[in-house]
Amino acid sequence: MPELESAPDGDFSVNGNPVDATGHDGRPLVEFLRDVLNLTGTKIGCGNGECGACTVLVDGAAMCSCIVTAGSMRGSDVMTVEGLASDGRLTALQESFMRNGALQCGFCTPGMLMSATELLLRNPNPTRQEIVHFMNGNVCRCTGYAQIVEAIEEAARHG
Amino acid sequence: MTVHKRRIVGNRLPRIDATSKVTGAIVYGADYARNGMIHGAILRSPHPHARIRNIDAREALAAPGVFCVVTAADIPSERFGSFVKDIDVFAKEVVRYKGHPVAAVGARTREEAEAALPLIRVEYEELPVVATVEEAMADDARLVHEEWESYEANATLVRRGNIANHTRLTVGDADAAFAGAWRVFEHSFRTNLQHPGYTEPRAAVAEWDQDRLTVWSSTQTPFEQQSTLAAIFRIPASNVRVSVPAIGGAFGGKLRIGVEHVAAALARKARRPAKVMLTLEEEIATGYCRQPAHIRLKLGVDRDLRIVAKAGRMLVDCGAMSGSGVGVASSGLLMLAGPYVIPNLAIEGFAVYTNKAPTGSFRAPSGPQGNFACESQMDMVARELGVDPLEFRLKNIVRDGDKGPTGQEMGTVSVEECLLKAAEAIGWDKPVVEPGRGRGIACGWWTMTGQSSNVFVKVNPDGRVVVNSGCAEIGSGAITGAMQVLAEELGVDLEDITVVNADTASTPFDFGAQGSRTASMVGNACADAVRNLAAKAFPVAAQIMGVTADSCSFGYKAIVSGNQSVPLAQVAASLQSGAGGLIAEGSYIQPGTPFDKDRTSGMVIPVVNSPSYHAHAVDLTVDEETGEVTINKYVVAQDVGFAINPTYIEGQIEGGVIQAIGQTMYEEIVWENGEVRNGNLTDYKMPTAEDAPEVVSILVERAGLTGPYGAKGVGEPPVIEPPATLANAVHDASGVRVTDLPITPEKIALGRVRGN
Repeated sequence: MPELESAPDGDFSVNGNPVDATGHDGRPLVEFLRDVLNLTGTKIGCGNGECGACTVLVDGAAMCSCIVTAGSMRGSDVMTVEGLASDGRLTALQESFMRNGALQCGFCTPGMLMSATELLLRNPNPTRQEIVHFMNGNVCRCTGYAQIVEAIEEAARHG
Repeated sequence: MTVHKRRIVGNRLPRIDATSKVTGAIVYGADYARNGMIHGAILRSPHPHARIRNIDAREALAAPGVFCVVTAADIPSERFGSFVKDIDVFAKEVVRYKGHPVAAVGARTREEAEAALPLIRVEYEELPVVATVEEAMADDARLVHEEWESYEANATLVRRGNIANHTRLTVGDADAAFAGAWRVFEHSFRTNLQHPGYTEPRAAVAEWDQDRLTVWSSTQTPFEQQSTLAAIFRIPASNVRVSVPAIGGAFGGKLRIGVEHVAAALARKARRPAKVMLTLEEEIATGYCRQPAHIRLKLGVDRDLRIVAKAGRMLVDCGAMSGSGVGVASSGLLMLAGPYVIPNLAIEGFAVYTNKAPTGSFRAPSGPQGNFACESQMDMVARELGVDPLEFRLKNIVRDGDKGPTGQEMGTVSVEECLLKAAEAIGWDKPVVEPGRGRGIACGWWTMTGQSSNVFVKVNPDGRVVVNSGCAEIGSGAITGAMQVLAEELGVDLEDITVVNADTASTPFDFGAQGSRTASMVGNACADAVRNLAAKAFPVAAQIMGVTADSCSFGYKAIVSGNQSVPLAQVAASLQSGAGGLIAEGSYIQPGTPFDKDRTSGMVIPVVNSPSYHAHAVDLTVDEETGEVTINKYVVAQDVGFAINPTYIEGQIEGGVIQAIGQTMYEEIVWENGEVRNGNLTDYKMPTAEDAPEVVSILVERAGLTGPYGAKGVGEPPVIEPPATLANAVHDASGVRVTDLPITPEKIALGRVRGN
């Protein structure tokens, strides 16, 4: 599981690096991540907080980055999908998503991974029902969810 | 018989793009950007039908950040379209649906472009609205396209006024057969408008260099976009390059041009790269959805419970542009006939224009509509006759050697095996004891789009392989499946293969990521390339080993002859320095399926190519008071011919069933008087994790005639049978027969009150 690091300086941190959000306070966080920091792993699906494609972790909590502003992140640690793997080493969740067919088009995958990361941080041994309930805010149109749930179960078992 | 365990095909290997998708590194169409790029926003008609009196963009042009405004006046051509040229980039004189593009603004930021939209002054004169297919079919109906007769169209179509295609499927003498039938039944059905629901909105970036256009978009068909864009801008197709970044889901909704032409028009006028990406509201209101259909079916049976005749009529609501609706009104007739032996058929279809957003080619176009009617009726008739719906089907289904409705060969027919396996897995023979619980079953067949696929395959001096394929990875993993065929045949590992794909400038022609064809067609092209690689590599290897070329074969990363071998890398290196490299092309062209033309009229899709067969069964419970449905278990038995990668085939089945549960139980874009009533993801609900029941996939493998190792088309079929399967089970559980989708709790509860 990735460590959540604190930012030494800057307005807030993204994947452990301090960032300066001057002039971007009112912008949705997702646009700041994608357009300013060029971290396009976080996706814009619906833009209304309904589909979960833009999910990031803010101080360890999964959040739709399309409905919070960059300015509201001051002092927080933000983690995006790009921050999961460290030194090229994938997390147990990333590995199990790959093994279990838990991604098809992959557009929802970053958001799925971030939500699942929070779930396993809070609850390392979730039941199937807990996984399904926790992941209910992330829409996937390709997989029908079964292989995603199986991937999370496997990551919890072997993580 | 010895069964060789294959090294790569048939195995559950991770897809080749998996790493880039879990790290966020892969770039989708929606992520694509160019330096100096401007952003576009589209001004859409607020009226379902109106004449444009005047457009004044002066104020918008003066707004902050705005570079340009484009309208129909900036488009060099008139109209385009695949079957009927009835589509305009921007409405010129008449807007034909609420949401019809009228103009677009290009600005420094998306916000500035959106802010300038209301500053474009458009004067409209509202016209009477053709809101429904009934209104459109009336004798005195207002025309959606007044100039329909002047439009260029496919010669097979039969067009008249608001009818973009009138199709007929005629076999034998249905009237006489009904007159002589023991019992005759008639039923009506309605299906709903469903959005494909891909999570990545349609997006494109366009850039011009003089009269050369490059477009990056998440399209399923880059070569079709190339020719369409060339026609729209009146430039040679060779001047258009379409390159496909990763696709964030499509399901047919990104088959036809979506925003590419708007981005190109903005970039052309502003003389800088332009990006257009749709909002969710635009997606729901103007996506290429599944056509709603009104269907009437009449079935006649004899005393032996054999079907003697079927007649029917299908009205397909295309919306304001005919799009794929003319094809849905064709293949839909084959779906209404179903996988049954029926000596007399008289089925017709109408593709109808209305003042609503254009529809498209959503996954198995016509399949769910036709199958819902066909398979609901089979159930209704069986119950009225007091026979088991499974038995009634088994008595009438097609089997090996039977011909299809238009006289075609049926391939290896496995409906019976699928039905029996699905029935067994759901416990069809066991009595249902709980009140409110019931089961349903349905079967069907589907086509695999053919045409051609081509690849270039190069073996590098290090023994690794680069493949150029014109086919995009739609998301299903089908390109991984095709590469498993290549790895198996060439004797390399999947990890050794890099794919460069879907770029009209650098990859050979491919008919596109559509129609359940990719794994089979691209896989066949790869197998052909391996044969051509052998012709180059074996003589070199033979010389090194001192053997004859015809004694050589591909082993694991080597060319082998008897007990000798030479590494593939060595042969590739030798050929690279001395003979132009170990590189070959591979092609596959799907032969057409012969049929009896005399049985068809207007049918642009007259056959089911390389048919696949499938049966679905479900066990569910209906709440006696509220009508809420709980699905206890869902079973799919699908003949996939040969399972190239079972993991991703199961993913297609599970994902397809859940998507189709959405269509069956709740998804519906509601148009009233030419307006969408539920344009967001709260009011247009798609299934989430808690809505997904257990889906059991049974992979039947009866080798087909076309795909590699006998593979059949996999991706589309899973969405076809759920509507009928669920409707039949709801009836079994509650006694309520719902014949109009979606099957909401309200309809079930009301049906019960009314004693349906």
